[in-house]
Amino acid sequence: MVSRVTRRTALQLMGGMAGILATGVAPAIRLAGAAGKPIELVHWSWLTASDGEVWQQMIDSFNAANKDKGTQIRMEVVPDDQYGTTVLSAAATGNASDFGWGTAGLRADWVKKGVVLPLDETFKQAGVSLSDFVPAGLAASRYGGKLYMVPMDGMSLQVLLNVDHATAAGLDVSKPPQTGDELLAWAGKLTQREGDKVTRSGFLMTGSGVQPTVTWGIVAYQMGFRRASPDLKKAGVNAEAGVQAAQWVLDLFDKHRVSTRDVTDRYKAFGTGNGSMFLTGPWTLNGYVQNKLNFISFQMPKVGKDRSTYFELGGLEMYVQKDQSRLERTAQALRWLSDNSFLWTTKGRGAAMRKSILARGDYKTAGHDWKVRGAFIDGMPNAVVGEVPVSAGPDFTIYTGGGFAAKTMDPVWAKQTTPKAAVDALIQQWQADLDAG
Amino acid sequence: MGAIGGAPAIPRAGRSLPFDRLRRATWNGERIDWSAYIFILPFLVPFLVVTIGASLFGVYVSFTDWGIIGAPHWVGLKNYSRALADPWVVKTWSNTLRYGMLVVPATTLAALAMALFVNLRWRGYTFARAAFYAPNVVSVTVIGLVWVWMLDTQYGLVNQYLGRFGVPDIPWLTNPGWVLYGVALASVWWDAGFSMVVLLAGLQDIPGELRESASIDGATPFQALWHVVLPLLRPALSLVVTLLIIGTLRVFSQIYIMTNGGPAGASASVIHYVYEIGFSKYQLGYAGAISVMLFATILVVTLIQLRVFREKTW
Repeated sequence: MVSRVTRRTALQLMGGMAGILATGVAPAIRLAGAAGKPIELVHWSWLTASDGEVWQQMIDSFNAANKDKGTQIRMEVVPDDQYGTTVLSAAATGNASDFGWGTAGLRADWVKKGVVLPLDETFKQAGVSLSDFVPAGLAASRYGGKLYMVPMDGMSLQVLLNVDHATAAGLDVSKPPQTGDELLAWAGKLTQREGDKVTRSGFLMTGSGVQPTVTWGIVAYQMGFRRASPDLKKAGVNAEAGVQAAQWVLDLFDKHRVSTRDVTDRYKAFGTGNGSMFLTGPWTLNGYVQNKLNFISFQMPKVGKDRSTYFELGGLEMYVQKDQSRLERTAQALRWLSDNSFLWTTKGRGAAMRKSILARGDYKTAGHDWKVRGAFIDGMPNAVVGEVPVSAGPDFTIYTGGGFAAKTMDPVWAKQTTPKAAVDALIQQWQADLDAG
Repeated sequence: MGAIGGAPAIPRAGRSLPFDRLRRATWNGERIDWSAYIFILPFLVPFLVVTIGASLFGVYVSFTDWGIIGAPHWVGLKNYSRALADPWVVKTWSNTLRYGMLVVPATTLAALAMALFVNLRWRGYTFARAAFYAPNVVSVTVIGLVWVWMLDTQYGLVNQYLGRFGVPDIPWLTNPGWVLYGVALASVWWDAGFSMVVLLAGLQDIPGELRESASIDGATPFQALWHVVLPLLRPALSLVVTLLIIGTLRVFSQIYIMTNGGPAGASASVIHYVYEIGFSKYQLGYAGAISVMLFATILVVTLIQLRVFREKTW
């Protein structure tokens, strides 16, 4: 018997098969995944550069150490600029990753929305002790007294110095500048000019974005300016200091002429020798060391009343889940990663947040040369310029290229407005943000 | 054996009656071939859900204060009135329009010159055609990163070459007065290839006899171009200009990669601002309102432009 398959029959068959696949096989796959062992925790991370490689080693180490213990971590890289929307939209349906990277002080809005979970109770149940953590790290990770993040490393902004430039300028690199005046004197000697034009910045800046904004924020703090009062009620304490700091930054370009606005990529500019001193964070070290740049680091000098500097505290946060049974396993994983953060805090990124790691004899000798990373560890006590933990926290951050602070201060650097007008505009918005809570 | 009394007819071959009706359905007297619709379903369903559905949802969201988590709350026209009072909306609109006024004429002229050159079919024209089009196949991220390097004030290639002619260093991407020119330069280089292909197709549709007749009548090459070629190229030019206007009004990637809107917001475009509001501050309602305003602007500008270029066939 000859059976003839018509086009219509073929289409019906294909449609039926597609339906079977959609309704039958997919749940079967999900069931297999849920029933399978070991439990796989999903971790979202935005780390992609050299620090990302070290973090991958951390995750690999966890998986190797816990191979027979029932928990494995699957790390997925989510681009930095999509991280927020990805977590929020996934959390709205209960499908966010088990844990991910966070920054202390910037999650007040997520805490309010219930996206990030408080850790105190979960940690207690998982037997995690907090006594070994650096108190400042824990304090910065709390909102309303509750802990929402496991601090993993503290990143302070300190100054990198190109040793070849300094040596050629006859400067003693063993005695780097300690004050604002010394910094300007060094910058003057390190700057190269052709006529009126700065061809190599003694103190590397850009004409807009992160670099002038964060420099202003640090110097303003040193001079006594506060973005918010300690009780988060009043914005712009000692506004005059903020104006003076903006003038100090402007003078780098126009009065002392030790910086040029013409730098497009600050990281590249320092790496290629177009700048001699560079205020930056420890995440740049791996790249410059790999490129065999001859440099050292020193602590941010005392331009104002002290040597305060900006810090960013990185850590791991747990996101709201449909399946509550995963929380304890996630807490255990976070504890393991924190307990074993020696690699991360010597070769990966910032300073350790565990007292036991900081006290280890090999902490200073592991990882990059202490001349390169020492300032970022020793300078942590001065790293007090952090985030403001309110819902509109990102408006307050000074380490930003496109955020509110940068957008408001950029016209100052471009000489389109005055420091006072810009600082007043900042304070006006910040006060509204504080009032909103 | 016949049917008993008023018992309902049994559907043929065991099929349900509605399915049978559907199979026999007609449109304008012709039977509908459903298989064609099944073939377009893989496109149609995602298009309806992801494009049309998302657009309609975006319009709805623009009247709410939605922030991804939680239900949207209806706020009426609040987002629109906020946008009208927002100085950054004015600034980004102004930047975008100025960027468009640079890119649209520059790209059209560059593409026209390239198309005319290729259409002459001089030696090596096939290579030229490929070379002119090549930038268009490169990812915008690559274009952006390469041009950031090319336009670097201190060690960029463009300033190096200009310096040989005594031109002082131009702060292409670091000065508020220059930055739109810098981004526009990269955009023209990227976009011109595609426009060239459209114009080339238009040129190749123009019969050679018309130009020969003009030549016999004593027209110079420029007169032939101005009075014969360009009028006949009007439909292609209209398409190119329309697409360029739409493209420039929603420019984002080049700016995001090359300047992130700086310095001092001098290159921030409308979509860049929408991105910041929506994806950094999670104010999707407000971002939606600005997007709807941009959509309305694009619609109006396109309608005006189509009116100006009203297409005529020869």
